[in-house]
Amino acid sequence: MKTYDKGDKLPEHYKECLINLMTFQADSEYAGAQRVAENHRFAPRPEEAYRLSKKVMEEMGHGYYIWNLLRDLDVDVDKRLHHLASNPENPDPRIVNVINGFRKENWSAFFECWEDVALFSTVVTPAAVAFLGQYRECSYLPWARVNVRIHKEEHGHLAFGVWASKRCIEFGGEKTREFMQERIAKFMQMGLGFYGRPSKGDGASEMFDIYHEYGLKVKTPEVLQAEYLELLEDRLTDIGFEVPKGVEPDYDMRIGYGTE
Amino acid sequence: MIVPSPDQLVEDNASILAKFGYQPYGGADEDWSSMWALLKGDFTTVDMPEVPDFDGLSVSQKEAAKIYMRRRLIADRFFEECRCCHADLHKGVDTEQVERYTLARDAYEDSVNHFGEAREKLAEVLRGVYW
Repeated sequence: MKTYDKGDKLPEHYKECLINLMTFQADSEYAGAQRVAENHRFAPRPEEAYRLSKKVMEEMGHGYYIWNLLRDLDVDVDKRLHHLASNPENPDPRIVNVINGFRKENWSAFFECWEDVALFSTVVTPAAVAFLGQYRECSYLPWARVNVRIHKEEHGHLAFGVWASKRCIEFGGEKTREFMQERIAKFMQMGLGFYGRPSKGDGASEMFDIYHEYGLKVKTPEVLQAEYLELLEDRLTDIGFEVPKGVEPDYDMRIGYGTE
Repeated sequence: MIVPSPDQLVEDNASILAKFGYQPYGGADEDWSSMWALLKGDFTTVDMPEVPDFDGLSVSQKEAAKIYMRRRLIADRFFEECRCCHADLHKGVDTEQVERYTLARDAYEDSVNHFGEAREKLAEVLRGVYW
């Protein structure tokens, strides 16, 4: 795999694909932080509020890491930040490139209570950990290095989900555990769809083969799905939940507004 | 309010620390009772549905509660520093400002974790488990 470092001359199409994926990650990290900030209203206790506030700061920090690298690729990142900060509820897809699941209208439908907030970090975050983890080995080395840092912190968010779920059960008892078990499937749909459609067959992403050839996406959706399910089962079992059977992926939540 | 120790050696320690900038706190003590009223919900689990008001805590429980609340106050200061760094990033994203923000939010994260550890300790003390 050919790799590139800071300052290297990048082939034009490679650079175009790289910027597409990096802006997708950076804008989505920041927009995701904004959604998490909105969920603050569900925090039932002091420590939950403080831990979620910390998570907002971290997710925004991930956006800054990637935006800072995009400056080297001649992207006007300040414009993207200002746009998201000024238009948190309906950012313009011609200016920023945000994952569908982080659009307010899509996101809001998933969250009705604090238990949903805890489950999101438990059930969907493992998908982000698996998906973004592949960028640690990608062909653009500055992006790979920053994703080592991000991956470590995303693991911390996984721990938050487990902690928050256990606390819900500690305070609400078995009734709450059953309530949460019923809600796992809706988040698992999002988690299963996070890394995109299968690499082969009908509905395969046209872009995947190009990203894979360029070394930007180094793992197939099938491999990422296996990593996700392993992480998910481990975390759900730790809390005392079961992995729901027969859940179908929701691929529409991952695609950007105006891409693909 | 500072209450000097009758043991001069303890007071001498304060003098040594003063060489490095330690200053006795000169302000009013925190309103621990009011703060506790806002925070005690952190402890009302299924196993312990009722948690006393601050005045109803034992001496050691009060001390553990004050440690927990002081950890929160420290976290609040780091939170403010994060907000300040965040505002400066809106003036222009660059490596120095991103690293500054990372340091600030790492410190905030540590302080929130310390707040959580103090909560765990206090929960034990409230249950009568001291070590």
